[in-house]
Amino acid sequence: MNRRTAITHVATMLGGAFSAPTLLAMKRWEGRVPAEGFPAEFTLTENQKLIVAEVAEMIIPKTTTPGAKDVDVPAFITMMLQDCYKTPEHKSFLEGLNNLEKKQFLSVNAGQRTALLQQVEIDSAEEMKAYQVQQTKMGDNEDREQMAAQAKGLPFWRLMKELTMLGYFTSEEGIKSSFEYVPIPGKLEMIQMKPNQKSFAY
Amino acid sequence: MNLNLKSDKAHTFDAIVVGSGMTGGMAAKELTERGLQVLMIERGREVKHIEDYDTAMKGPWEFEHRGKVSIHSAEEYWANNRFGTLANEETGPFFTNDQKNPYIEKRPFDWIKAYHTGGKSMHWGRQSYRMNKKDFEANAKEGIAIDWPIRYEDLEPWYTHVEKFVGISGQAEGWEVLPDGHYLPAMPMSAPELYFRETMKKKLNRPVTIGRVANLTKPQPWHTDLGRASCQYRSKCARGCPYGGYYSSLSGSIPAARKTNKLTVLHDTIASEIIYDEKTKKAKGVRVINQNTMAVEEFFAKIVFLNAGSMNTAALLLNSKSNRFPTGLGNDSDQVGRNIMDHHLGVGANATVEGFENDYIFGQRPNALYIPRFRNWGTDKKDFLRGYGYQGGASKSDWKRGIITNGFGASFKEDMSRPGTWTMGFGGFGEILPDPSNRMFLDKEKKDKWGIPMIVFDAAFGENELAMRKDMMTSAVEMLEVAGFKNVTGFNRQDTHPGLGIHDMGTARMGKDPKNSVLNKFNQVHDCKNVFVTDGAAMVSSSCVNPSITYMAMTARAADYAVGELKRHNL
Repeated sequence: MNRRTAITHVATMLGGAFSAPTLLAMKRWEGRVPAEGFPAEFTLTENQKLIVAEVAEMIIPKTTTPGAKDVDVPAFITMMLQDCYKTPEHKSFLEGLNNLEKKQFLSVNAGQRTALLQQVEIDSAEEMKAYQVQQTKMGDNEDREQMAAQAKGLPFWRLMKELTMLGYFTSEEGIKSSFEYVPIPGKLEMIQMKPNQKSFAY
Repeated sequence: MNLNLKSDKAHTFDAIVVGSGMTGGMAAKELTERGLQVLMIERGREVKHIEDYDTAMKGPWEFEHRGKVSIHSAEEYWANNRFGTLANEETGPFFTNDQKNPYIEKRPFDWIKAYHTGGKSMHWGRQSYRMNKKDFEANAKEGIAIDWPIRYEDLEPWYTHVEKFVGISGQAEGWEVLPDGHYLPAMPMSAPELYFRETMKKKLNRPVTIGRVANLTKPQPWHTDLGRASCQYRSKCARGCPYGGYYSSLSGSIPAARKTNKLTVLHDTIASEIIYDEKTKKAKGVRVINQNTMAVEEFFAKIVFLNAGSMNTAALLLNSKSNRFPTGLGNDSDQVGRNIMDHHLGVGANATVEGFENDYIFGQRPNALYIPRFRNWGTDKKDFLRGYGYQGGASKSDWKRGIITNGFGASFKEDMSRPGTWTMGFGGFGEILPDPSNRMFLDKEKKDKWGIPMIVFDAAFGENELAMRKDMMTSAVEMLEVAGFKNVTGFNRQDTHPGLGIHDMGTARMGKDPKNSVLNKFNQVHDCKNVFVTDGAAMVSSSCVNPSITYMAMTARAADYAVGELKRHNL
């Protein structure tokens, strides 16, 4: 989110929780140590890629509108982990994938898959308590989420949720099919919601 | 020495303005409109209005990392990104690569730079408030630092002058603490915000108004004459606005100056030194280095305006050594580089708002609510000096709420396409007291790639700021609780440093006495009267209001005075 993003985003704070990979840069500074090298290339096995794709599609399934797979969310997730996250998140993400592999995620039926993810979600909520997520109003009209730096990466589920939703709801098809996309509103009005009002996206 | 007279003539102007940002643009406009031939020097690359706003019209899907900062970019822009993500894929063009422009920190300083046409006016928050009468008197009354050599009344007509030109949307309220200016129609408040305003008035007697913001809600003829149109409520200002909806040097002052046909702009041109003439006891020009070719040139003028941004302006003074000024031009008082101020931030509170389910907003408001200073004002008295203002507001949550709430699947997906509940939050901007030990100076040995000494920062928040911050969080929590909002959570970030407010100022302060100040009451360097400093460096105290409109008013006033002095043959 840019520095001067509208205060209309203030609210996204509580719900709108992006993790902050850039904290690593801050940590580097605090420790007065030279920049770390970039992590080695982040790669997934074919089986892991299949799990990522299935989990993403379970978070945002194809309905009357496209699903996560339709808009290439799985490839987006891998790219983002490579470009925007460092080793702790790579580790925790792979740990989560291994966990699902052990439980034969790809072999079990749809109901069992859902149950597995529900358990992962519950466990993840517990793990997230350690992260002390905090919302900060920053700059003249911007806010952002910060977390205390953690040695352990963000949990797999949190990364999957965030990157799937980010990849989907900012894709062209995802935006246009999910929201009322208004790139140039041209006016500012306080309005009443219509029945089944979709969110405006800008 | 080879004298090339033809070339000398091509290198001679009436005035040189160093910097093209908020105040450089205004200086160029005011000087050219008064008939002067002006050379503007910008150290960074050229950005052309509209055509170089590369990211302005992109859809979210056209940004590879969708607004997140890659690790590579975070390393390059380390000062911008060590607290948050100032420079990202959308706004990156208007911030500066820190690896290529490094500085030294004795104590940490978040130095946010903008090396390109328009400088920080490209990405500023556009909040525009006049300082009040007491802001100009507080230092003298409280025995802090030195007195301002001017009062509110000196700047008042110039506030009016620049406000009209810039175009500021806002609501006149008649409050002494926040003097009214000249405003275009105010932007509306949302339903929860209107409720909040009424509740604060009734229960805490604290005023709340809509932000006064440099976005055109109703362009006036002098705005449309420059090609500026109404704000489109995209709130993507920091990418550069193709409509000229918000004020920047590129949408406002530079086109106005160009209209006079008296403006010459040089880009990629770093001012390394002001050339002092020991005979005339005046500056005769500026020595520059091309940032790409490394070529060194000299330019000459009757007057020089320094508008390079407080830190670079001070560095330029310090690097301009002569027999008369062995420690830097105008540095007899040893105050150049000292008294760094900013506004401290990263402290406030958030809450969720129940109700107002059917209220919604069409369009993105590039603006917030403003809660003016109430501390140490009127009968209020706290155990710290001065005060702070809050900026913030309410909005309806979008799909991002789903990242941390449980759920997935078809109904979750459907739910995320609809607005969620309202939330509200705000953060403070606190006044910082001037302290001579908060300073920057030039490193004795280390030089940048152009051979100019590197800047060293040695500044930190003091006891007064730290005490104020505690109150800033407590009062924010109190206000949201009194409003009856839920899940009220305060924050007070401990990892911010001076500079992060990007309101850095004070490094060449004005004053009445040359022994303890750098500039006189018309922003002239004491003992080198044809050099004017009218960016944030001139500030004697910081107030708690966003400073750009004050810098611009000060610039217009100094430009008017400078031209008068030229006509009177005093310069």
